Amino acid sequence: MGIYAEPRFLPCGDQALSVELGDDINREVNARVLALEYLIQQRRLGGVTETVPSYRSLLVYYDPLTVGWDQLTRSLHALWRDAQPEILPPARTVEMPCCYEGELGFELEAAAAKLGLAPDEVVQLHSGADYYVYFVGFTPGLPYMTGMPERIFIPRLEQPRLKTPPGSVSIGGIQCCIYSVESPGGFWVLGRTPLRLYDPTAADPILLRAGDHVRFTAVGRHEYDAIAAAVADGTYTPRIETPRASSARRGGA
Amino acid sequence: MNLLIHDPGPQTTVQDLGRRGSLRVGIPPSGPMDREAFLLANRLVGNADDAAALECTLIGPRIEFADTRWVAVTGAAMPVTLDGATMPRWAAFEVEPGKVLRLGPAASGVRAYLAVAGGVDTPLVLGSRSTYLRGQLGGHLGRALRKGDVLPLGAASGGAPAQVLGQFIPDYTGAPIARVVPGPQDDRFTAGGLGALFDAPYEMTTQTDRMGARLRGARIEHVRGHDIISDGVAWGGIQVVGDGQPIVLLADRQSTGGYTKIGTVCSFDIGRLCQVKPGQRVSFKQVTVAEAHDLLRAHRGLLDQAIHWEEAP
Repeated sequence: MGIYAEPRFLPCGDQALSVELGDDINREVNARVLALEYLIQQRRLGGVTETVPSYRSLLVYYDPLTVGWDQLTRSLHALWRDAQPEILPPARTVEMPCCYEGELGFELEAAAAKLGLAPDEVVQLHSGADYYVYFVGFTPGLPYMTGMPERIFIPRLEQPRLKTPPGSVSIGGIQCCIYSVESPGGFWVLGRTPLRLYDPTAADPILLRAGDHVRFTAVGRHEYDAIAAAVADGTYTPRIETPRASSARRGGA
Repeated sequence: MNLLIHDPGPQTTVQDLGRRGSLRVGIPPSGPMDREAFLLANRLVGNADDAAALECTLIGPRIEFADTRWVAVTGAAMPVTLDGATMPRWAAFEVEPGKVLRLGPAASGVRAYLAVAGGVDTPLVLGSRSTYLRGQLGGHLGRALRKGDVLPLGAASGGAPAQVLGQFIPDYTGAPIARVVPGPQDDRFTAGGLGALFDAPYEMTTQTDRMGARLRGARIEHVRGHDIISDGVAWGGIQVVGDGQPIVLLADRQSTGGYTKIGTVCSFDIGRLCQVKPGQRVSFKQVTVAEAHDLLRAHRGLLDQAIHWEEAP
């Protein structure tokens, strides 16, 4: 299990291929996927039109009239050797306010009962962890994350619900996700963030990126409403830290 | 200058060639479901391939223009009239202000394209004018057109009579063959499962939209279940879920998914697949990547010969 000795190149029709780097969900494999995507962008690999990272593979769209299968897979193989986690720019940490109260965390109590914990303990365990975003997708802006302590690993809902409100912070298996648009769902909803993971009216509609770290801050209903109002007015700035930016600030002070 | 929607039809949207680079954050490319018909409509009126046009679904709109415009209608066989007079399809013609252009119900096919010289000039959103309906993004206010909508048009540099040659006009009444490259998870199906996909045609169901086309036919048998570690979903990807039935993922598809994908419909056959009505059938034929690339080159070459200009454009 883990990283393959050699990447697998899997055809996805005439205009895409999947570069598969490992056979499980782990941060090391995913960092290699993100590093490969980063190198493709940095070196402007010819013929590549778009890339989509996921847990352990990178979907590469290409123009076959510019670059053929053999040449593209050779180039990708060469980049794969250099695609080490160290080359990635410093990861951002995004602070995500989350209200775990009442109707916003409508499955908190049921999840706590299932886990044999008090709701407060679930909130503490959930909000105390550091989450890693493997990739963003399925619906616009939805982060696929792990980082939860083992004590709140939980089987998915037996009966998925048909509608989940956007912003719902939820857990299932070893994963944590935040629904970005109203959609069906099989994860337990513990709370809701007032931030918009997808805002089609914004110049940059997507909040989170693959490789980001996320930390949840528990907020009460009053503060949730205040932040939601500021978000709606466009006056709220999410707290996003990058190591480089913070050291630059220190240097300038 | 602009166009006015008198009646939009059930689902008319603004589309250009699609959004590039945002699948990595979960935003699909969108764009025309039938790229070939879309491109020919634009070329007929002298537009660039990436100009925005209208995609009309099953029943077309009634439209009026504020100035004289060359237009062309391609794709699904929607009868075209101008103030009640029959107009040609797959050909460019001029529409004067005050006259009402109408696209009726499709006799065959699903999606028609109405290109206007100068292109529809709605704002670029993430580099594209395409409408992503589920994400309420792009096009005209992120939604399908409604009665009374007014859309801006780009400057047009005249036009010329032109038509698509008869042999290049598709017949949407039959069952097309869609070429398929197996993979990325063809190893997750039994030999019988793979064979099923290619042996007999599948029927289009009504559970089909811009996101994907759900088909019905012989059960495609998995080995080791239908779940995978979620990965990227290519344009034309054929996802097979627990019931063994295929879903072809299209312009507004989810960017990633956790179900096995047995193969991918080749880009050059996706447009025709998107003209198959519920109840009609489609056959799948297996090809290699190398064969698919040869077919793509031939297909592009043919597309470049499809239009006859009666005078130099």
